[in-house]
Amino acid sequence: MNLNILIAGVGGQGNLFASAILAEYFINQGFEVLAVETIGAAQRGGSVVSHLRISDSAIYSPLIPAGKVDILMGFEVLEMLRNFKLLGTDGSYLLNDHKDPTVLCNMEMDTYPSDETITAALQKSGKKGYTIKATERAREIGGSLLTNVVMVGALCRLSPLFNSQEVKQVLAHKSPAKVRESNLKAFEAGGSLILEAIRQS
Amino acid sequence: MENKEYLMGNEAMGRGAVEAGVKVVTGYPGTPASEVLEYASNYPNVHVEWCINEKVALEIAMGASLCYTRAMAVMKHNGTNVALDFLMHLNYTGVRGGLVLISGDDPGGISSQNEEDSRIITHLDAHLPVFDPWCPQEAKDMVRTAFELSEKTELCFVVRPVMRVCHARSRVNLEEIASIGKEPFFEDDRSRFIMSAVREPKAGGVLRPVLRHKWLNEKQPELLQIMEDSPFNYLEEGDGNIGLIACGIGYAYLKEAEKILGKKFPTLKLGTLPLPRDKILKFARQMDKLVVYEDSEAVVQGLLKELLYDEGIEVEVAGRSGFLPKEGELSTEVVLASLASLYPELKKSLPKSEPLAINVPIRTRTQCIGCSYRGLLHALKLIARKTHGIVTGDIGCYDAGSFLPLELQSTIYCMGSSIPVATGIAYSGSKQPVFSIIGDSTLFHNGILGLLNAIHNAVDMVAIVCDNRTTAMTGFQPHPGSDTDITGKPVAAIDIAKLATAAGATSARLVNPYNIPEVTKALNKAVKEKGVSVIVASSPCYLLGRRTGDIGFTPRKVTLDPDLCNGCKICIDYFGCPAIHFSEGKATIDQATCVDCGMCVVVCKRGAIK
Repeated sequence: MNLNILIAGVGGQGNLFASAILAEYFINQGFEVLAVETIGAAQRGGSVVSHLRISDSAIYSPLIPAGKVDILMGFEVLEMLRNFKLLGTDGSYLLNDHKDPTVLCNMEMDTYPSDETITAALQKSGKKGYTIKATERAREIGGSLLTNVVMVGALCRLSPLFNSQEVKQVLAHKSPAKVRESNLKAFEAGGSLILEAIRQS
Repeated sequence: MENKEYLMGNEAMGRGAVEAGVKVVTGYPGTPASEVLEYASNYPNVHVEWCINEKVALEIAMGASLCYTRAMAVMKHNGTNVALDFLMHLNYTGVRGGLVLISGDDPGGISSQNEEDSRIITHLDAHLPVFDPWCPQEAKDMVRTAFELSEKTELCFVVRPVMRVCHARSRVNLEEIASIGKEPFFEDDRSRFIMSAVREPKAGGVLRPVLRHKWLNEKQPELLQIMEDSPFNYLEEGDGNIGLIACGIGYAYLKEAEKILGKKFPTLKLGTLPLPRDKILKFARQMDKLVVYEDSEAVVQGLLKELLYDEGIEVEVAGRSGFLPKEGELSTEVVLASLASLYPELKKSLPKSEPLAINVPIRTRTQCIGCSYRGLLHALKLIARKTHGIVTGDIGCYDAGSFLPLELQSTIYCMGSSIPVATGIAYSGSKQPVFSIIGDSTLFHNGILGLLNAIHNAVDMVAIVCDNRTTAMTGFQPHPGSDTDITGKPVAAIDIAKLATAAGATSARLVNPYNIPEVTKALNKAVKEKGVSVIVASSPCYLLGRRTGDIGFTPRKVTLDPDLCNGCKICIDYFGCPAIHFSEGKATIDQATCVDCGMCVVVCKRGAIK
């Protein structure tokens, strides 16, 4: 088995925690895991990309080569679009419908692509994928910081590679006590969101 | 039984040092290497210290080594430059207790001002042995081995991981923590440890620098033999007559490319400098051409050419001198493209990747929402505009003020350059007022030297210190202005304003950067003064303060009245908080990301933000 997951977001969205949950789940299953984050010089607001590679044989490059991503998780719309080129021919995406405008977009020197343009481009790519409102749901539960867990919950319901219950156990184990309950709630909410999205498609 | 833990490369190197019985670990924070120290600080028997700068870190580590104690200094490539003066003497004296220098490189300049290859100064210049790991496990093994070999050869060993090794996470073998080492003891050997231009009576009056240089040169054959036998260099069989030399992370990308293409190429995997001479010659004699994959300069390629020339072996050696890109990071994509150019039939096997047919705006760097520096930069921007001032910059979170929207700082070089560059501008005879802006950790690192120089010479300048009480950009490491050390133990916090006053600055004003009118007033006064006027803009980093409960402002809900907003964009173009969005001619506040710092209320001249 070879599985490459790319998580694209902005600083502060919790890429690292999401990657760590998934990594521990696969390690528990006996797989080799190799991961790396690409971060810039800033603590917040910049592009952050987590590469997570899972295999039953040796893995070499910590960065997923272009065209080899199986699952592209977009925590932020622009960041997913930016990394779309890494997605493989049979790869699929899971997008959080959350937009974080850039400095240059606010200055009107750049234009954040419109929903219509994005939908058209995604359709033209021919790639499979789902879009859910993870940040919106996270805020309803307790805060936008739960976005990453909502997304992980959605991924686990979407792909047969995951045993939701076991991922949930890892999540419970890795969550600090004061956020454990809201994390588990966010995880379940992610599952419901994706089931709803599948029903509607 | 196998005991593995999921660790990042930096943690693996910290673990390697702890397993080797290290007793003193020093460093200065810098991406990609910071977590090495943080890992080691979990072991109470190891003295771990964030030092004022990298030179001091290496000097402290050497002091411990003098007493037969194992010690390690950790830094990024820019820091190794700072430590270079000491390193260029340490190589002549040699060490006692095992001494390891970790110099983390950043090919591609992802978190740095340059993409320097520190193998050049540490090996080609200082003639020290260097290990170049390809993965976290090898990085850990190399650190352990480096301690043993350092003691055996009496030389400081350098481990040079690149960012992708430092930050990669994988399962790493844990081994027992050794309790090695003799009891610390000091004995004099002035012929080694007094580095000076003195004549050696025992050597017929030869000058000591020449004698110690000779000692270093005579160590090289021993190192060559060690590297010849090293498990970090090995051969892998494959098809064809083009030999691939895979150094450090280059090996990871080459193996990945082989996996994708379903091919095996004859490969010599290298992880050491000096190079294993015989292994290379044997390999080269069987090949028609060699290609070297290394990050980021053509170091091994150059050494190989020299070796082959001396042996009279006529084999073409391609690599980062032009066959592969001369700049930027190596990657699987670069390796794949090079293999497809060597073997055109492989072109069809390359993975397909296509960007979306859409324009994706870039993200420029900016301060975090709630950052105190945004208020300071806003006030300085308006004053610099009014006075036609020139602002010189330095390294730290505030350096994002040099990009859009503010475009405030006119120069950024390396740690501590802001004040000396401003001094030179003042000396040029330019009539424009000069402002320099530097962070707290950067001031201590070596900015203080430029400040003292400017005060001593009565240079007319406003020197602004951005004091957020931590080294924020690299992950909140303490510095000499912090009141706790890496372990949380209380330590003496050095007061920057008092320091400037004691040194004789014209004035040293302490302001709260969240208070824009207060900062503006201080800047207006300072710019009219003669000599060096210091302004210390002091408030805890918001991200850190939110965790510790010590933030520099009283939170207040901020709202924007769209009827009063006339779309002047001062809040966007002269302030640029990411929580303020702009569309259809009006600013809006994104309540979901706003942290209620309230600074923008003062920024808006229309009273639209309340």
